[in-house]
Amino acid sequence: MAAYIIRNLLYTILILLGVVTVTFCLLYVVPGDPARIMLGQRADVASVEAVREELGLNKPLYVQYARFIVKAAQGDLGRSYSTNRDVVQTIWEKFPATALLAVSALIISAILGVMIGIISAVKAYTVWDNSSMLFALFGISFPTFAFGLIMALVFGFWLKWFPLSGYISEGPSYLILPMITLALRPLAIIARITRSSMLDAMQQDYVRTAKAKGLSSRSVIFKHTLRNALNPIVTTISTSLAATLGGAYFIEYIFNWPGIGLLAFDSILKLDFPMIQGTVLFSAVVFVVINFFVDILYAVLDPKVKLS
Amino acid sequence: METTAKEAQETVIRDEGMILDPTPKSLWHYSWKRLKRNKLAMIGLVIIALLFLIASTAELIAPFNPNQQILEYSVKPIGFKGDVIVKKLEGNELSYIPIKGILREDNTKVYYTDYSGSEASIDKSELVGSSQKDWTKELHFYLGTDRFGRDVLSRLIFGSRVSLAVGVISESIAIFLGVMLGAIAGYFRGKTDGVIMWVINVVWAFPSILFIIALSVVLGKGFWQAFVAIGLTGWVDIARIVRGQFFSLRETEYIEATKAIGFKAPRVIMRHMLPNCMGPVIVTGTVGLATAILFEASLSFLGLGVQPPTASWGQMIFDGYKYIIAGNNWGLAVFPSIAIMLTIFAVNLVGDGLRDALDPKLKR
Repeated sequence: MAAYIIRNLLYTILILLGVVTVTFCLLYVVPGDPARIMLGQRADVASVEAVREELGLNKPLYVQYARFIVKAAQGDLGRSYSTNRDVVQTIWEKFPATALLAVSALIISAILGVMIGIISAVKAYTVWDNSSMLFALFGISFPTFAFGLIMALVFGFWLKWFPLSGYISEGPSYLILPMITLALRPLAIIARITRSSMLDAMQQDYVRTAKAKGLSSRSVIFKHTLRNALNPIVTTISTSLAATLGGAYFIEYIFNWPGIGLLAFDSILKLDFPMIQGTVLFSAVVFVVINFFVDILYAVLDPKVKLS
Repeated sequence: METTAKEAQETVIRDEGMILDPTPKSLWHYSWKRLKRNKLAMIGLVIIALLFLIASTAELIAPFNPNQQILEYSVKPIGFKGDVIVKKLEGNELSYIPIKGILREDNTKVYYTDYSGSEASIDKSELVGSSQKDWTKELHFYLGTDRFGRDVLSRLIFGSRVSLAVGVISESIAIFLGVMLGAIAGYFRGKTDGVIMWVINVVWAFPSILFIIALSVVLGKGFWQAFVAIGLTGWVDIARIVRGQFFSLRETEYIEATKAIGFKAPRVIMRHMLPNCMGPVIVTGTVGLATAILFEASLSFLGLGVQPPTASWGQMIFDGYKYIIAGNNWGLAVFPSIAIMLTIFAVNLVGDGLRDALDPKLKR
């Protein structure tokens, strides 16, 4: 087990190295001089040179690359071009809002998605199944931002049930609309996976045996089928977290939710490259770290996972 | 009711799948047969066909030039009608002057009340045609107008081009890259596989939409940048699928045989292994197409996709969003949202249908 964890950890570090390299390229392949972008077009040559010196831009590319990796490992991603604030610190300040939104959306979509998937599989090819799968297909077809706009229009503007925009500190009702909007897509994906993997499991011999020996249908569904169908469902839920963090970009913008998404959106509009780089790198690192723990969780839960 | 032997046989074939068919036919033949029986997939296919038709004949069916601005008619509601004088511009271009009514005309000039209610006149030589019938017109905006007084319906029709083009081209890039890298990894295994898998895992670590956004910021805004950015992220799923298929295909006897004969790797990969994993590639590619269209819309929504004035659905939603809050024309954001949803919905319906049709294990 320890060997398995160490090997996974080493591979994760290797992936992180790749992730950092890609993010390095994002900034340094950018056309134009970062120092000039930072200071504006009218800055004098001397101060541009000073900033170039400070950022290490006049060094060869491999030195810059090494510097970037060392600094990234220390949690230093530079300063914002527009506010001159520390990138990592700013991201950490915004992270709780995004985490709250993403995690609450994911919990809702996991619970509802698994429920809908089970109902669909148990009542396969009935009206229940067809209508919920049509709903799920609708869910994966609707762009998050378009769905968010329509939610805002119907529940925020016409019905006035929930506030149109703002943060949770103003009251829990502010969480409702962004959360539901964000939950739609993962909910649909989880429902579809649950259904198909339940249907697979229901065809197995042990399920027939369980039915034949007269177990209650509840026990057959939850103890014998769901447990064996759980593996792909858990994978989907864990990978959905990354997509949910990504989807939060748009939701936060539409509902004015002060998380990393809104921060990233602002930095894109302002071409604030260090901040863009920071938010992208941060999201990728979160994903890689989550995956690392999910893999270990698998090894603990599923005896079929090979440890060697 | 009489049934001929042939009809009876066809019924058997239809009901029992392929078992009793005397003449052997390809997997594609049976897959298409299965797909045809899937009503939802057929609905999706019809919608996609219609969309392609709309996109390719946009000039003919759109009531207006999508970039024709009539600033006086800014943000008008659904079904708005307005009277205009049609003015000639250089070339074959036309321009419209909104009016309240024609007052009178003499030999050289036409006097009218303009949209703000004040009197104005224009030389007849500047107008289209010779009689009042020719140069006055009632314009009909079926879905209203946007803030520049452009026809929403026409922009929706032209916007389908961007969505379909970006979707198809970027997914083609993704399939090309994915099939190539997946095949190489799956065929050669070992270190090659290790390196490719590492690249896959690194790309996979970035939430795709963030990665695409970042790439477009770096590459600059525009049409081609959107293709490249979406294509560069979409290949990962395809590569994983192809690699997995190759892993199991390599163990089969007929691939063993190609090696015994002494075929070189490119020939074995291209002629013997790839054709046998096209099914999953097509299914994944269809899902990828839907995702690519979604990403294009997202990029345009952020203003990073196709640049104005070219109409694109994502951009239309972004522009229309403010009017939802202002409450004067919700259609501006809702219609393009429905257009995107319908497109992706149709592609997903076909994708689901293909998954069932191309899976030989499912003989329904």
